[in-house]
Amino acid sequence: MPLIKNGIETTDDWILVADDAELPADGKAVVSLKRWQEQKAQLEQRNAPLGLSLPNTAAPEELNGDVHRFALIALNFPKFSDGRAYSQARVLREHLGYQGELRATGQVLRDQLLYMHRAGFDAFEINRPDAEKVFKAALQEMTVFYQPTSDDRATAQNVRLGLQQRLARKAGL
Amino acid sequence: MYRYDPLDQQLIDERLAQFRGQVERRVSGELSEDEFKPLRLQNGLYLQLHAYMLRVAIPYGTLASHQLRGLARVASRYDRGWGHFTTRQNIQFNWIKLEDAPEALAVLAEVQMHAIQTSGNCIRNTTTDQYAGVAADEIEDPRVWCEIIRQWSTFHPEFAFLPRKFKIAVTGSPHDRAAVRVHDIGLRMLKNDAGETGFEVFVGGGLGRSPFIGKTIRSFLPKQHLLSYLEAILRVYNRYGRRDNLYKARIKILVHETGIEKIREDVEAEWALIKDGALKLPQDVIDGITAQFAPPAYADLPAAPPAALLEGLRQDRDFAHWHRQNVVKHRQAGYAIVNISLKEEGKPPGDITADQLAAVADLAERYSFGEARVTHEQNLVLPHVAQADLPVLWRALKAQGLATPNIGLVSDIIACPGMDYCALANTRSIPIAQAIALRFKNWQRAQDIGELKIKISGCINACGHHHVGHIGILGVDKAGEEFFQITIGGSASDDAALGDLIGPALNEQDALHAIDTLVETYLGLRQEGERFLDTYRRVGLAPFKEKVYAAH
Amino acid sequence: MAKAPKLKHNPQIVTANHLVRGDVVYLTADSAWSRSIKDAVVAPDEAAATSLLAEANAQAARNIVVAPYLVPVEPGSAPPLPVQFRERIRAQGPTTEAA
Repeated sequence: MPLIKNGIETTDDWILVADDAELPADGKAVVSLKRWQEQKAQLEQRNAPLGLSLPNTAAPEELNGDVHRFALIALNFPKFSDGRAYSQARVLREHLGYQGELRATGQVLRDQLLYMHRAGFDAFEINRPDAEKVFKAALQEMTVFYQPTSDDRATAQNVRLGLQQRLARKAGL
Repeated sequence: MYRYDPLDQQLIDERLAQFRGQVERRVSGELSEDEFKPLRLQNGLYLQLHAYMLRVAIPYGTLASHQLRGLARVASRYDRGWGHFTTRQNIQFNWIKLEDAPEALAVLAEVQMHAIQTSGNCIRNTTTDQYAGVAADEIEDPRVWCEIIRQWSTFHPEFAFLPRKFKIAVTGSPHDRAAVRVHDIGLRMLKNDAGETGFEVFVGGGLGRSPFIGKTIRSFLPKQHLLSYLEAILRVYNRYGRRDNLYKARIKILVHETGIEKIREDVEAEWALIKDGALKLPQDVIDGITAQFAPPAYADLPAAPPAALLEGLRQDRDFAHWHRQNVVKHRQAGYAIVNISLKEEGKPPGDITADQLAAVADLAERYSFGEARVTHEQNLVLPHVAQADLPVLWRALKAQGLATPNIGLVSDIIACPGMDYCALANTRSIPIAQAIALRFKNWQRAQDIGELKIKISGCINACGHHHVGHIGILGVDKAGEEFFQITIGGSASDDAALGDLIGPALNEQDALHAIDTLVETYLGLRQEGERFLDTYRRVGLAPFKEKVYAAH
Repeated sequence: MAKAPKLKHNPQIVTANHLVRGDVVYLTADSAWSRSIKDAVVAPDEAAATSLLAEANAQAARNIVVAPYLVPVEPGSAPPLPVQFRERIRAQGPTTEAA
């Protein structure tokens, strides 16, 4: 399945490891929350990138400072209409300061990509051959944003303020 | 009134282009109906009993003349020449083609209108008092806050796929004309002991299958924290609202099942993390939006009624009736608030023709500084009319069938479109509404009865707000026949209450007879100055129930 | 949402909305769609109804119509007369006059 990371199609070199499967010695491995909670000490020993797969019913707050141990956190949209992962993403980015890869999995459709991106996702499993093309197109559809998130986009209010300040400077105020 | 700047305009233009693309992808088959449906709903396009229906947003019920003309154009060009105002201050067009929807939205975008988030599991239109900015009893203009909420909630990326729809209402007056206590979030402006203005925040109100009056989650919220607090509530709801059962997915169920104390705890914990962040409203932003709602350039008029008005009242009894019933005191000396009744005898309540829309546009321009309002009771308002203009305005309204003198009276009925239009309905509601209005057409009788708010819903979704009618009527299907369940004692105001069922459902004839009986019972029992609602509150259900069901 | 009483044993017709126009349409004997209920083909029994609905769903998947469903009609009625009031309103238009 195509993985879009930072806007381009990338090889997914992460391996999702089942709870009862042997963890590979090295390489990028994604484990479930359950496994993390049960085998934390052991997993912390592992000297290779670790990823976490969170169900959309999980509370990211329970991870606390542990978020920084993960190079990848994968969140899930079981149906595109189930929007819980948007809040999980914002909590991870904005309350817990998570800076690793935040991946959208599940039913990830073109018409929700911009919202996901705004909520803090930077990687997307998009099940279509033209994934990169539609990702780029989707992100360009809107350029005005009313509300702040952790993304880099200026809100309309910021733009207005910037404009006012420029005009005030021009008027010598 | 809020004026769009180029950014606001760009946003709706971009949204229109996005929707056009989505329609094209649907027609080509790239998008399935399952994938397209939430997208078209978030652009207000429903599939109804006869056709697609477009619900156009009228943010906090405020309209400028050029916008009324835009609505008239859509009604004429893309619909069958009329529209219907709803209990959320929006307007619906019932015969829109999917292939025309982008064009109709383009006509609207030219007048700064749209159908964004008028459906779907997202934050809907924020509604308010139709007398905002002009009511004599107002603490502050709630539209400032509605506009702030509108911007924050439009395309909010986190809250586009909530468990269910989300409705917010704001009142700036202690007399709540916005039904805030039956909304998912209700905001009531008030002053604290230090004289500062803030909000009492209610959460978990709502009608429908499981009606609830909202509970106070915070008794005083300072203004600058409005958005961060709303965000905290929405985040808790998005995370914990039920998604297993469509009928248990509103925040009212979450509040009911979890308890207001735990919800408050969760919300306040979330709020503590965000209240001093980017959502905190700087005073200059508040001031900037407030300035957009500055009063129009009122003339310096004497408070006393001018000769032209007094003469009119003396000469014309019909004008006097209309003045008494439809005209309300204004906070500015010499001005009046004019209610335009869309409850003309023989017409479906809340409907308006393209010609009437154009006429109201002209009258608003001439007599109301170019501004009109929509009420959640499906009428219109001209908010700034000089008293001397009332007679000539009335004549013009009369010529358009817009001067029925029945605001707040028994024939000023709220009715959902019902089974004549809506695929969800169990019964029709328009015919029974018209039949009731006809029974009480005599003005003297209606006056004598006084304030009586009848609200009719064709199904349990309660779009007609029947739970909070002084008399509420709910259509039910009994073995394929239309039956009506009657409640009494509801109120949508600051004394919010849900009506009590008087007894088993009745067929249409019996229901009409029951309404007569309820009115007669009230007239027989009332004391000086009591409205129907007051008498009911004093004597209780029993006398009414007995009389109605005596014959059964 | 109102649910129809179990009328599985009635003859059935199929209705849907035309995708692009939104018109109410009825499936005809030659698998076309007509705005008039008079042209609706009547499935006399459950098996025929299932087959009719399958044809309608196939056409929905080809983006011709949306939301097809079965409508029970009175046995022997010609033109087909829906049992449910809602469906008669859908076929004939609102019982009220527009404003």
